[in-house]
Amino acid sequence: MEKEKIIIIKSRFLAEIGNSRNEKELYDIKVKFVGRNGELTKILKNLKNLSAVERKEIGPLANQARQEIEGIYENRKKELGSQVDWEKEKIDVTLPGEKISRGSLHPITLVYREIEKIFSSMGFEVVEGPELETDWYNFTALNFPLDHPARDMQDTFWIKSPKEKMVLRTHTSPVQVRYMEKRKPPFRIIVPGRVYRNEATDAAHEHTLHQFEALVVGDDINVGHFKYIAKEFFSAFFGKQINIRLRPSFFPFTEPSFEFDISCTVCGGKKCPSCKNSGWLEIGGAGMVNQNVFVSAGYPRNKYQGFAWGFGIERLAMMKYKIDDIRWFESGDLRFIKQF
Amino acid sequence: MKYSYTRLKELSGTKKTPKELAELLTMRAFEFEEMKTEGKETQLEFSILPNRGHDALSHIGMAREISALEGKKYGELAISKLDLKAGLKVEIREKKLCPRYIGAVIENIRIAQSPKWMQERLVACGIKPINNVVDITNYVMLETGQPLHAFDADKTAGNIIVRKAKKGETIKLLDEKIYELNENDLVIADSEKALALAGVMGGFDSSISKETTSIILESASFNSTNIRKTRTLHNIITESSHRFERDIDPNLAEIAMVRASELIKKIGGNNVEVTAISDMYPKKVKPWQIKLDTDYVSSLLGEKIPVSRMKSILENLGLVIKVSGKILDCEILTRRIDLKTQEDLIEEIGRIYGYENIKEQAPIVEVKTPPQNAKRNFENNLRDILAGLGFSEVMNYSFYGKEDIEKCLLKIEDHVEVANPLSSEQQYLRRNLISNLLKNVELNLKNFPKVQIFEIGNKFCNDKGKFSEIPLLVGAIADNGANDLLFFQMKGKLEALFHDIGIQSTDFQISNEEYKFWHPTRAARIMINGEKIGRIGEISPIVLKKYSIKQRVAVFGLKIEELIKISAQEKQYQPISKFPTVERDISMFVGKETKYSDIVSSIQKNGGNLVKNIELFDVFEKEGEKSLALRIKIGSDSKTLTSEEIDALMKKIISALQRELRVRVRK
Repeated sequence: MEKEKIIIIKSRFLAEIGNSRNEKELYDIKVKFVGRNGELTKILKNLKNLSAVERKEIGPLANQARQEIEGIYENRKKELGSQVDWEKEKIDVTLPGEKISRGSLHPITLVYREIEKIFSSMGFEVVEGPELETDWYNFTALNFPLDHPARDMQDTFWIKSPKEKMVLRTHTSPVQVRYMEKRKPPFRIIVPGRVYRNEATDAAHEHTLHQFEALVVGDDINVGHFKYIAKEFFSAFFGKQINIRLRPSFFPFTEPSFEFDISCTVCGGKKCPSCKNSGWLEIGGAGMVNQNVFVSAGYPRNKYQGFAWGFGIERLAMMKYKIDDIRWFESGDLRFIKQF
Repeated sequence: MKYSYTRLKELSGTKKTPKELAELLTMRAFEFEEMKTEGKETQLEFSILPNRGHDALSHIGMAREISALEGKKYGELAISKLDLKAGLKVEIREKKLCPRYIGAVIENIRIAQSPKWMQERLVACGIKPINNVVDITNYVMLETGQPLHAFDADKTAGNIIVRKAKKGETIKLLDEKIYELNENDLVIADSEKALALAGVMGGFDSSISKETTSIILESASFNSTNIRKTRTLHNIITESSHRFERDIDPNLAEIAMVRASELIKKIGGNNVEVTAISDMYPKKVKPWQIKLDTDYVSSLLGEKIPVSRMKSILENLGLVIKVSGKILDCEILTRRIDLKTQEDLIEEIGRIYGYENIKEQAPIVEVKTPPQNAKRNFENNLRDILAGLGFSEVMNYSFYGKEDIEKCLLKIEDHVEVANPLSSEQQYLRRNLISNLLKNVELNLKNFPKVQIFEIGNKFCNDKGKFSEIPLLVGAIADNGANDLLFFQMKGKLEALFHDIGIQSTDFQISNEEYKFWHPTRAARIMINGEKIGRIGEISPIVLKKYSIKQRVAVFGLKIEELIKISAQEKQYQPISKFPTVERDISMFVGKETKYSDIVSSIQKNGGNLVKNIELFDVFEKEGEKSLALRIKIGSDSKTLTSEEIDALMKKIISALQRELRVRVRK
């Protein structure tokens, strides 16, 4: 009789304890069975009223049951203790992230990096030169004769200088001669840098600009090489197949000289408003280095051949990021810069 | 130049529409600008390259070009010879500045309007009709490219003299303004006075009027450089000066004179008579030769063009070619002044052959890694670090004005000045980058509570006429949230930057130099290994006020080239000690003038290499005394220190502080 009771108590305890959700409930269940007036305690207290034979049989059973209950209780208590209240932990994950002050690099820097990466991968060296330049390097050494109309092609900021005639460089080309004075071909270089043109500003014009130019000189560099490298570069820069078109032009430091256009990056040459329905975008100037420039740099005449080409970074940045006004670049306005 | 399509068609015989012509010329010669049709005339405008002004700024020149591009030889018009007649004495005193002068006396002219067709054509080419004689000179100029001028013969006295102007000589020109001439200006004069500013503009007093009956017609050549100097000096640009400064073939003068006198005879009245023609041409210009190596043509263009093709291209341009093996002996016409070298001829072949027909080819080059540009790489590294520290990159103009110089308390004479600035705000080259950064701060504070910017760019210095250009890195912070501690916010960021570029020890020294725009008591010179590399500090509130900035602004400026030199070292790993460290705090009162850096160096000196780190964790001021609380990390690399050893060390440090810096350590 008592033996069956003990078995039932044990199984009921197991069932109830399994449903307990916290330490309080667990404790209450324990008290219910093994507390001072607990069901099992009652059996233990009643042992003295049993016969010696019964006592001998029931006593150890009841005590064992009690130990088991205590053991199970301790285990369950541990189990409950390592549980987390997930409801209390809950947050609104759609709230905004903490504001981190993060700087932006200027879009001109970003475009320069892109260009330099492409040219470096083709083995070009990056070379720089001064912005405050002598008349010699900016014009005369580049075959702009003194008092020649070619000088009108570039509106120039002249500097009040007590000695040599000085200008703010109108292009990066002075670096060609500066570099060649120190180095012998073959070489391939690129020249990034700031240049200045004395013209009033509007949405499409700036007096302070960033330019880029490439110079490749060797024994037999030709127009076909220029077309190849220009096409490689622009295809890599815009991430799609770009075609190159050359038109005749005149620059004192190159002969022959070209204007070069690239196939429209928007329509691919099918004609659209971006290219004013021509299929082409005007990008910059280029040409085969004039032998007089080699001579200015101290090379013998007609020993080397090379090409030079240059273009404006602002124009590329405006095309890449769809910027509508060139004046943003030097505005210092963080509403603009923070977008990059 | 604006061309009459009808005239180009007549001269060249082209069958192309204006649009087709525009396309052909753009791809092969000159860029098309604009088209306009009015009445019978269609105007086509092309921008003529500066090296082709001498032949292409004319309808005949352009018609020749069109024929050559269409693969035809141009049919030159038959022009009769000059019929010289005595009666006009011309004296050229400056033979270098005037290689040729043809003068003709034409009498019995009746000044009237020119015929309608001529007027319409002039209008189509953008020139205002005036009267028959003037219109003819302009018409012939548009046709041949040779500027002409007509004087009223009755208003001249004696010979025609080509001479330099006298000092202080004045002349009233056709624009009715009086010009004071320079001794280098060339004038056309009679025995008494200057009649015209040669090749630039005629004189008012000798100009053609309704009463004129006889004229002296001039067709001459002038030195291009001298014309350019004169027109620049007096700031006059005319159709004539525009052409002369591009250099004109002296042989063209004769063709234009013949053509103009024929036209005057035809439309200048019934009894017109040329009574005298004089031609002063002491040094006749003759065709020249260029030997063109056909292998060089292929080598430079990168395209094998058959020699017969090269020959026909050049012949269609009017050159006379003889083939001798691989060499083309080319006789250049005197009108193509631009063709002087083999490369000039290669350009003619290339453009007419068509650049689109030249195949792209990969150059064969040596495979090698290019030398790195250390400065540019370093600047790019600085940019990335600064962006990570919250700075955005700005690019400002290299200019500023007198007002900026004054606002920042700088000296005008230290600046490089632009001779022809766009405006007074851009008259000087920036002598520092911070002035323009302050303008950025002011602008951006309108939109952002915190402004944190940097710029990498050059400053320009003028040391008594010696110019220099120095690359700098500058930065600025203005922060509504951190006013009084702004200096330290900036210093912390700068220290992080130095750490990232591998600079171990930096020294911030109070400088006693001129403060200019710097805050006199919140600025320091930055020293690394004893080198001055820049400054950090707040901007003086007096200067900020002028920029209408109400909060504090902290800035720094560093010389990039100095920075590269000291940052070049590789970082080196320091072994991490296996033994424990302990932390001990010291709180102390120090005098107001005692510097934190002195306290730190005293602790380091006395603690030796057992002091692993010193950190300041509390500062306050009370009754003229500064209280500092420091946490010192102590440990040994070779053993675990006992508490007695640590206590002894602390005692040594504290007594040194008391002795050397008179600090009062709080117990």
